[in-house]
Amino acid sequence: MTPPEGRRLVGNRVLTTLLVAAVASVALLPFASLSPNRLVSGQPVMLWQALAGWQFATLALIGILLLVAALAGPLPRRIALWLSLGATLPLLALDLQALGAYAHRALAEASPAARVSQGATFWILLFVSALIAIDALQRLRLGPSGRALYGVAALAVIGVCFSGELLSPLSIMREFANQRDNFIDQLVRHLLLVAGALLPALLIGLPLGLLANRRARLRNGLFSVLNVFQTLPSIAVFGLLIAPLSALGRAVPWLGELGVSGIGVAPAIIALVLYSLLPIVRNTYSGLAGVSTGALEAARGMGMTPRQILWRVEIPLALPVILSGLRIVTVQAIGLVVVAALIGAGGFGAFIFQGLGQYAIDLVLLGAIPTIVLAVIADFALQILVSLSRPSGTR
Amino acid sequence: MIELQGLTKTYAGKNVVEDVSMTLETGEFGVLIGPSGCGKSTTLKMINRLVPLSGGRIILNGDDVTELPAEQLRRRIGYAIQSTGLFPHWSVARNIATVPQLLKWPKSRIDDRVDELMAMFHLDPAEFRHKYPHQLSGGQAQRVGVARALAADPEVLLMDEPFGAVDPITREALQAEMRRVHRQTGKTIVFVTHDMDEALQLATRIALLNGGRLVQYDRPIEMMVKPADDFVREFFGQADLGLKLLSRRWVHQYQRPPSLAHHATLPGLDHCWRLDDAGRPIVLEGARLDDQHRHTDVRAEWIATPEMSMKEALSRMVWYRVMVLPVVDGTGKLIGEVGMQGIMGIESDGGLHAGEPAS
Repeated sequence: MTPPEGRRLVGNRVLTTLLVAAVASVALLPFASLSPNRLVSGQPVMLWQALAGWQFATLALIGILLLVAALAGPLPRRIALWLSLGATLPLLALDLQALGAYAHRALAEASPAARVSQGATFWILLFVSALIAIDALQRLRLGPSGRALYGVAALAVIGVCFSGELLSPLSIMREFANQRDNFIDQLVRHLLLVAGALLPALLIGLPLGLLANRRARLRNGLFSVLNVFQTLPSIAVFGLLIAPLSALGRAVPWLGELGVSGIGVAPAIIALVLYSLLPIVRNTYSGLAGVSTGALEAARGMGMTPRQILWRVEIPLALPVILSGLRIVTVQAIGLVVVAALIGAGGFGAFIFQGLGQYAIDLVLLGAIPTIVLAVIADFALQILVSLSRPSGTR
Repeated sequence: MIELQGLTKTYAGKNVVEDVSMTLETGEFGVLIGPSGCGKSTTLKMINRLVPLSGGRIILNGDDVTELPAEQLRRRIGYAIQSTGLFPHWSVARNIATVPQLLKWPKSRIDDRVDELMAMFHLDPAEFRHKYPHQLSGGQAQRVGVARALAADPEVLLMDEPFGAVDPITREALQAEMRRVHRQTGKTIVFVTHDMDEALQLATRIALLNGGRLVQYDRPIEMMVKPADDFVREFFGQADLGLKLLSRRWVHQYQRPPSLAHHATLPGLDHCWRLDDAGRPIVLEGARLDDQHRHTDVRAEWIATPEMSMKEALSRMVWYRVMVLPVVDGTGKLIGEVGMQGIMGIESDGGLHAGEPAS
């Protein structure tokens, strides 16, 4: 794995590649766009046109620091990694700040209907800083607390940028201001849908995983059924559920009053539970199956009851794998809830489909970006939970 | 004391263990041995009912424990296995404390017991208490496994090929340690192995199984000297078992009065010792491998004592090329002799043939 020592120029190939990508996008792709109103596509604005002198100088300085970190020669490896990790936070801040500052300047001399939107280079710089951070965090082998600390710092930078008036002239933020109350509603709805799907999925999936572990004969049948659910396209499942659920809602009035009908929350949650079952059952099963037979034999041989073996030996040892399943399912559910907006379940998907209908790209982004952010935060948090659940002996 | 009465295990209509009965007195070290598939491991696991009995009874210190709930029985019986079965998510101390915790001992008593056991197995508590199993070497992990099995001071300790997976040097160290711990604790131990050397090193009783049946149950020496049938003879006849047997026999068992005059007519006795005034041997006349009639000065290197093992005595005869060694007491006085021919004669009945010519 380790490349031969000697006169290598590049110490960190990932970082170098990302830097090249960033420089290319700065040179070739617009940083922002300026349009006379909400529905017309805008004029591209390149980075050097958008940035003030000191901003450009700062960006150049960050670029040089990252370049130094990427080279093999100048810095010891760990220090270079810390440097690149540290540089991502000012890069993130500068990216957001520069966009906001440009929007303020550009709109001061334009008509009130004019809009500033973020361009490709803005996104690329954002992703590049995220990827640099992920790469550095992995190579530094930081523990859960170190990673959590970085996550909080990055969120703090983003929070500060969003807290004041800095970004408010941006088109997407104006859209947000128009939809503020609705946005909070849809956020809550989105989260409730995810929780409403995960809770039953866990309540059903964990016992099924245990059952699959205990009863070899049931296992194959169970997994093939769950696999079928997983292969069905989500829209098809929503469609398939419409007829039986509306019939059920009509036939059983109290269910109908609870909101069971062909569209809305009920089919969304049923479909999400079905999709969540396979990863939960499979990970629960394989987590339990991964517990060493020696430990199980010793536990029995020393007089633990089956219940004690389950809670003291099997579950603690299987927990990291089970939580990895939960991580997959959570991220998956956050994404799938978007599609559920099609059958009227609400959530951020509502903005996306509304925006698509109106050809209002900012409205689409208002649904898409928070969904991505939710998924990233959930993934990050559960990843930390997974490493915390790893028994200290094997961490 | 543990008694097995007619233990039987039937899988799919076949008896894999059939009517095994044996009694192990308190403090005995019993070894179950036999070819693979002979049912030795199954028999062991039937004692703590990891394998449910198809028939038979288990009596532990006079109590019939056959019907006792399996968990309660297992907490009275220590259990150590080849893979150690240490819980990877628990520290060494917590692993050792497993059974005391199940028995709800007070914490201070558990802590004391853990320290005591770690000291017994030469694991420095300061260093090892908080280590995790993956930080231990194979030998250390196995020690922790045995310490854990002994934690609640069980009435019997079961060990299922515990040293089968460690390297030979570590295995020897662990065997020596096991002998010492057995001596120190006086525990009744049932030990499964397929390694005859290990069995002879450790056992005070050996049970040889074949095809699920107990073929012979006896002291190691009796198994070698009085094999019940050809199977036993062949099983024990592997490799250098003759020498192993001699390593458990002593010069005083083979000793005969010294020949102080030539008896040319008696084979093996056509030699004679010359003594000094104090009765110490100084010259051996005859009994040389190379030259029957040569006189040899007696040297300290090839003098035997009554407590010496016969293996060592034989080794000296071969190395110094003499057919017979003088046996002397603490003052160096000649009290007997032990000869090459004598080694053979005694084997069949284990008795003493002192004074008789070798057959």
